[in-house]
Amino acid sequence: MQLTGSLKGRSSRLMRSVNSLAGAAMFVAPLLALVAVWAAVVPLFNVNPRVFPSVGAVGTAALDSIRDGTLFAHVGASLLRVGLGTLIGIATAVPLGIAMGVSPTVAAFLTPLFRFFSVLAGIAWIPIATLWFGYGFGAIVFVIFNAVFFVVAYNTLLGVRTIPHTLRNAAASLGAGRWALLTEVLLPGALPNIVTGIRTGLGFAWRGLIAAEMIATNVGLGYMLFVARDFYRTEVIVFGMIVIGVLWLLIDRLLLVPLERATIERWGMVRRA
Amino acid sequence: MKTLSLRNLGKTYFDPYAGAHVTAVHDVSLDVEPGEFISVVGPSGCGKTTILNMIAGFIPYSKGDILLDGKPVHGPGPERGVVFQSFALFPWKTVLDNVGFGPKMRGVPKAERDRIAHEYLALAGLSHAAHRYPNELSGGMQQRVGVVRALANNPDVLLMDEPFASVDAQTRMTLQEELTRIWQERKPTVIFITHDVSEAVFLANRVVVLSKGRVLDEIAVDLPRPRIWDDLVRDDEFKQLSARVLQMVRAA
Ligand SMILES: Nc1ncnc2c1ncn2[C@@H]1O[C@H](COP(=O)(O)OP(=O)(O)OP(=O)(O)O)[C@@H](O)[C@H]1O
Ligand SMILES: [Mg+2]
Repeated sequence: MQLTGSLKGRSSRLMRSVNSLAGAAMFVAPLLALVAVWAAVVPLFNVNPRVFPSVGAVGTAALDSIRDGTLFAHVGASLLRVGLGTLIGIATAVPLGIAMGVSPTVAAFLTPLFRFFSVLAGIAWIPIATLWFGYGFGAIVFVIFNAVFFVVAYNTLLGVRTIPHTLRNAAASLGAGRWALLTEVLLPGALPNIVTGIRTGLGFAWRGLIAAEMIATNVGLGYMLFVARDFYRTEVIVFGMIVIGVLWLLIDRLLLVPLERATIERWGMVRRA
Repeated sequence: MKTLSLRNLGKTYFDPYAGAHVTAVHDVSLDVEPGEFISVVGPSGCGKTTILNMIAGFIPYSKGDILLDGKPVHGPGPERGVVFQSFALFPWKTVLDNVGFGPKMRGVPKAERDRIAHEYLALAGLSHAAHRYPNELSGGMQQRVGVVRALANNPDVLLMDEPFASVDAQTRMTLQEELTRIWQERKPTVIFITHDVSEAVFLANRVVVLSKGRVLDEIAVDLPRPRIWDDLVRDDEFKQLSARVLQMVRAA
């Protein structure tokens, strides 16, 4: 466990908001540059809209889908599936990872299975998931769950193993029983790795989601892309891709980063980004 | 308060890399009176940490007995508090919650254990740091928290393995004075391991010298308390005792 002994900077609130503004600008600038290149290149080479859309066409597609509400239906369906699959994945993977972390027997028995299944995690399960759950919600949630489960369980195991043994000893000599050891030491101690696992797992899940929605449903962002393809609507495809990317960034910035700030960064268990 | 006794205690490790057995502790017997402060010194590798870890219950012993009030001890327990060289504070808990951890394990309600923790933090001059996390403290402060966390659980026996080895010399002197002061107030039984001969004499009622897994000799220290470094550096008895212990350790 990395303990960086940095005292919290007592920079004023003003400095902090200036800093975060500057940070946001640094983050957005390359994206804007990309859009600028795109806006210049498409008319310059007179690109066929069936190959790649203009910025304006994508803007129009965006406005249309917002106006008729289809965007929200797709985004809502996708987020619900990712959210549910991820929650089930975390809720099952963390206890299993901890069990593996504390019991060498359990770990030895499950490790080969984990090696085998982690390479299969996610989209390879789409065909059989559709046989089990039919086309739709169940199959997709299962694929998400599957993508999250193995990564989170494995990272939880790593997390438990990296907790210094003296911390367990300290807890035990202060009177902690098994349950207290779990809740007071193992869970928070493994949290840095669990968060890493969730971040990686969510990345897999997000990709798995788009793939699964192309095959197994009639609503959702993946479905939106796939149907647009049939009508050569490249502006809808590109808009959908932008939404997918932006949503991921939002999940990361609004959910994962604040979670890390409030916990493992505060505790000095990881370097501040 | 309980009497701690070690009877013909021994520990043999199996070293899987060498494929051989290593006897770290051969035969150690020691009776510790309730409220006694014992320092243990000896050359590196003589088995000090091994003995302490067996008393703490972190590792099983191979032969002999460890008795607390006549009852054998197995495994860790709150009646034996431990102060670690590496501090071993919980990074995810504030100083206050670290110190309140023992009481929490005993089921003491939140308000009451905060009161206890504040009281002990005041004892160590750490009240201002109560709501900080360990990573925001200096090494000396972290070790104060480590000592106070063990004390706040009211252990019969306090086990300390070179707790002040990783802090600077000035801080170490302050911590030593604080420890003797707190010990005089609460009178737990203390087993204190150190490499530093003057530290051993400064703190203890009795210094035990170990050599190759056996007790080589013991020296009683009857210096008056409270002990302050400013006085003791000029004290002839202190100098003589330290010189004697140093001689024994070097001969060990
Ligand atoms: N887990 C272990 N496995 C095998 N041998 C060990 C183990 N722990 C300690 N030993 C051996 O036991 C002997 C005593 O070790 P111990 O750590 O108790 O010494 P120590 O007196 O605390 O030394 P130091 O002053 O350097 O801390 C050493 O020879 C050491 O190599
Ligand atoms: Mg040692």
